[in-house]
Amino acid sequence: MSGGRGLERAGLPPASSQLGRDRIVTMAIRARALRKRYDGVTAVDGLDLDVAEGEFFGLLGPNGAGKTTTIHILATLTRPDDGELRVADCDVREEPVRVRSRIGLVFQESALDGTLSAWENLCFTGALHGLSQPDVEERAGELLNLFDLGAKKNARVATLSGGMRRALDIARGLLHRPQVLFLDEPTLGLDVINRRAIWRFLERLRQQRGMTMLLTTHYLEEARNCDRVVFLDRGKPIERGQPAELIARMGEYILEIEPVCSEYRARALAAELGQPIQENERLLFRVPPGKADVASLQERMRGEASSIRLRKPDLNDVYVWTHHKNVDRA
Amino acid sequence: MNMTRPLAAIVGRELKRLLRQRGRLLSSMARPLIWLLVIGGGFGSMLSQFGREGYQQFLVPGVLCMVLLFGALLSALSLVYDKESGVMRMLIVAPFSRTWIILARTFSGSLVGLAHALLLLAVLALLGFIHWPFNVGLLALGMIATALLSASLGMLIAVFSKTLENFAVIMNFFIFPVFFLSGALYPIDHLPQALRVITWVNPFSYGVDLLKHAFPPPEGNEVFATDFTVGLDVAMLALWIAVALMTACARFSRPRMMERFAARLSASRRS
Repeated sequence: MSGGRGLERAGLPPASSQLGRDRIVTMAIRARALRKRYDGVTAVDGLDLDVAEGEFFGLLGPNGAGKTTTIHILATLTRPDDGELRVADCDVREEPVRVRSRIGLVFQESALDGTLSAWENLCFTGALHGLSQPDVEERAGELLNLFDLGAKKNARVATLSGGMRRALDIARGLLHRPQVLFLDEPTLGLDVINRRAIWRFLERLRQQRGMTMLLTTHYLEEARNCDRVVFLDRGKPIERGQPAELIARMGEYILEIEPVCSEYRARALAAELGQPIQENERLLFRVPPGKADVASLQERMRGEASSIRLRKPDLNDVYVWTHHKNVDRA
Repeated sequence: MNMTRPLAAIVGRELKRLLRQRGRLLSSMARPLIWLLVIGGGFGSMLSQFGREGYQQFLVPGVLCMVLLFGALLSALSLVYDKESGVMRMLIVAPFSRTWIILARTFSGSLVGLAHALLLLAVLALLGFIHWPFNVGLLALGMIATALLSASLGMLIAVFSKTLENFAVIMNFFIFPVFFLSGALYPIDHLPQALRVITWVNPFSYGVDLLKHAFPPPEGNEVFATDFTVGLDVAMLALWIAVALMTACARFSRPRMMERFAARLSASRRS
């Protein structure tokens, strides 16, 4: 597991690119045709998912895409209407309690007792998982250090900042050494500084433990470090792959023109660059390698655009394009 | 997994809370003492005019049951409050079944009720209301059974109510009637038929009666005698505890209930 990570850091393709080819990979999560309806709304619609052991996997999409329902199903908290699901070598429907003993869960709302101190919270969680007191103390100490919370050991949770509380909540999810860690929007509601801190902690965690992590987020830029991601839209997977590969498919640059230019001009550009996508007041074009000539563009667009911007594509663009492709097809 | 550690943790947390809220523990002694000293004193002196002695003594099992009812039921009801808090989320993601959560909370609630009752027992002994000899076995059985009953009823209410906003409703339409119509304040025999039927249905009556058996009235005091047999008391208490817990467990384990909990874990999916 950690070997693959080392390669990745050395600039070689991540371990997950070898999935199913060079080696037999044990699946931490295997879902087939998951389906869940709430009051007539299909929240998850035929989702297949394979997450290998040690993989860092991202479940992406806008609010309402079905990410949270999916993570609740994977974490045994919601029963799927249909489909097969194995997590950490157990059937989720048959043995939910066993699954819960092998996974760690960190949700948007923290699962901590505000009246207890950070330390007491970890001791309580440890006991709930049946750990002995010496074990709990050793692990809790390690985790508090890992997340820079050593000094806040005896502070009551209610007095901790949002970022510290989230870090403590993640420590809580890790105390019983789960095989898979589920993180549902781990940085939601945090400011930039705390978001960075949480990511630093998660990165440290991956390096030290090499554990399987499944993450949902709608801050897509946070998912670029995932080994693989899947984009959900209205409960359906619409795109999946490695972030770097998906981004590379978008071309060399994204061209943003604001405000939307005349149809005539747009058609001329489309002939060169391919069909654009309109996002609010902007037109977005994918620019293939070697086609980016800002000087000539500025010349041609003179007077029509207030802003012309050329930038590197990111996961947001991947989502926007696949989403549009999907809508067109539908 | 060995379940004693998690159970000890849940009970420990509940007792720690009890000790931290010492003020509440002490003030919960006030209610039964007011009943016993003020109301018991007043009615007692009135009744003694008519030659009926021992009303205050008659109230002792009733007020003991009262603190059991309030202590255990309110502790169990805190499940409703906890539904909103982090503790319930911790329990939901922990590796045990939903049924186990209900049973563990019932157990810890019962212990809180018993802690209240033991404290009151000590206060009553100091005030001279506990006369030796009494039946220690029956007293223990009655207190434990009543504590379990109160906690189970609290669980039953907790799993059916969404918020604590209807707390006053529960207080006025459940706790007080259950207490008043239990034979804790007056013998059941002399009640009008309709009320008497209610006391027969009321499970709390059998807990009160069990404690009346533990503190038998002096010879010849037929007015303040017990209402049922010990066997009937135990059977009815066991039946009610079983029914309440089974219903609470079934309700709490419903997938729908879990979905609501899961939704609370995720702010964005608030349905």
